[in-house]
Amino acid sequence: MEKEQQKKTIEALLFLSEEPVKPDKLAVVLSAAPEEAEAMVRELQEDLFSAGRGLQVFETAGGYQMGTLPELAPYLEKAFSEDISSNLSNAALEALAIIAYKQPVTRIEIESIRGVRSKHVLENLVKRKLIKISGRKDGPGRPILYGTTADFLKYFGLKDLGDLPQLEVEEEETKTVQQDEADDNSAQA
Amino acid sequence: MVQQEEYTIKLPTFEGPFDLLFHLIKKAEVDIWSISIADITEQYLAYLQSMKELNLDIASEFLVMAATLLRLKSKLLLPRAPRSEEMEEEEELFEINTAEELFQRLEEYRLFKEVAHYLQQKEEDQKKVFLRSTGGQKVMVFTQQESVYTIWEGAHHLSDIMQRFARVALAGEYMPAFSAVEDFVISQKADYIQSVLNQKKRAMPMKAFVTKTGLWDIIVVFIALLEMSRQGKVNLLQEKPFGAILVSLKPESEMVEKEGESGERTTKKDY
Repeated sequence: MEKEQQKKTIEALLFLSEEPVKPDKLAVVLSAAPEEAEAMVRELQEDLFSAGRGLQVFETAGGYQMGTLPELAPYLEKAFSEDISSNLSNAALEALAIIAYKQPVTRIEIESIRGVRSKHVLENLVKRKLIKISGRKDGPGRPILYGTTADFLKYFGLKDLGDLPQLEVEEEETKTVQQDEADDNSAQA
Repeated sequence: MVQQEEYTIKLPTFEGPFDLLFHLIKKAEVDIWSISIADITEQYLAYLQSMKELNLDIASEFLVMAATLLRLKSKLLLPRAPRSEEMEEEEELFEINTAEELFQRLEEYRLFKEVAHYLQQKEEDQKKVFLRSTGGQKVMVFTQQESVYTIWEGAHHLSDIMQRFARVALAGEYMPAFSAVEDFVISQKADYIQSVLNQKKRAMPMKAFVTKTGLWDIIVVFIALLEMSRQGKVNLLQEKPFGAILVSLKPESEMVEKEGESGERTTKKDY
């Protein structure tokens, strides 16, 4: 397939796909190496951007997906408002944050970090397919272990778990930084 | 008596005792490691007190934390006993025995709180990007003739299918959209249902028309019933969500007028 043709094909494929498309799938379609396919995707990203189009291609959950530009949201919402689902609660976000870093993790471990019972929150997250039961821990009671799903990455637009910020471990020297923050806060107040 | 208005003070809601402690520490504008247990305990208790005055429910976790704080505080006041307390703590959410431990736990909580905040930001960003979607409900499948959308692919429960069906029907997209094969199966089933009802002359549960095991036959019965109901041939009655569906024949007089037009539409479809 010619290069131009390949690029068009990728555009069409991503346009049609509701799910992120993995590089190896692109490679199969184009009969090219995955790296080639990815290079092509990047070119397409460039093309869309420089042509000033309303669509973009972005990396999420280990694949590529086509979506609209964030700046268009206020207008698009007028047309699609009924499709917008409610945001996650703070409790849900906290639980997700813990699971994302500590997985596989048991409910008790999550609760001990949050200091709050979290059964209900976890059930809801499973229902929303943002987390899944990934196994059972060896030990008394064989408690259920939770882990995040591909939907989790998609929902937050993350390439993979490495995309999450590093957990900065609190050391002695960061105290000064905190003091600065406190000063900032008092300046605002 | 106190006026109602006084009770409209808005208190921030906290995700748990750590969240509240964290808030108090921030308010005090000191970092986690340098706050005194006595101070934080006092503030914590004062907060719970104000919650009580506002008649708010205080979750048990908050009270457990209050007890924990008081224990930590009393420990600091009492002369240090040699570390002989091997007493097993009752299974609690926080097994915190020293101020140091409390700070560590708070610090850990703070880290995840930050991540939660980061995720919230990402969620907000991602909400602004619209993706192509058919609601994830329709899955393209291939039959002998051509590709058709099916509404039962990947459904876990009959109610899933009902919901999808309702959505398609409400959107006006529903023209008995089954390929020739499926149309045939469904019209056959409809005939069967009709004959059973004619014979029994009473309302029957939907289950009675399912003749084969497996999801497929249930789906066919269900769709046939929806189709018949649309054509005004039967009445469907469901007392409660997920309850049994009762099927009865519509009295002749009601169905005559509708039969003609819709009957033709379903059969004369060229594929």
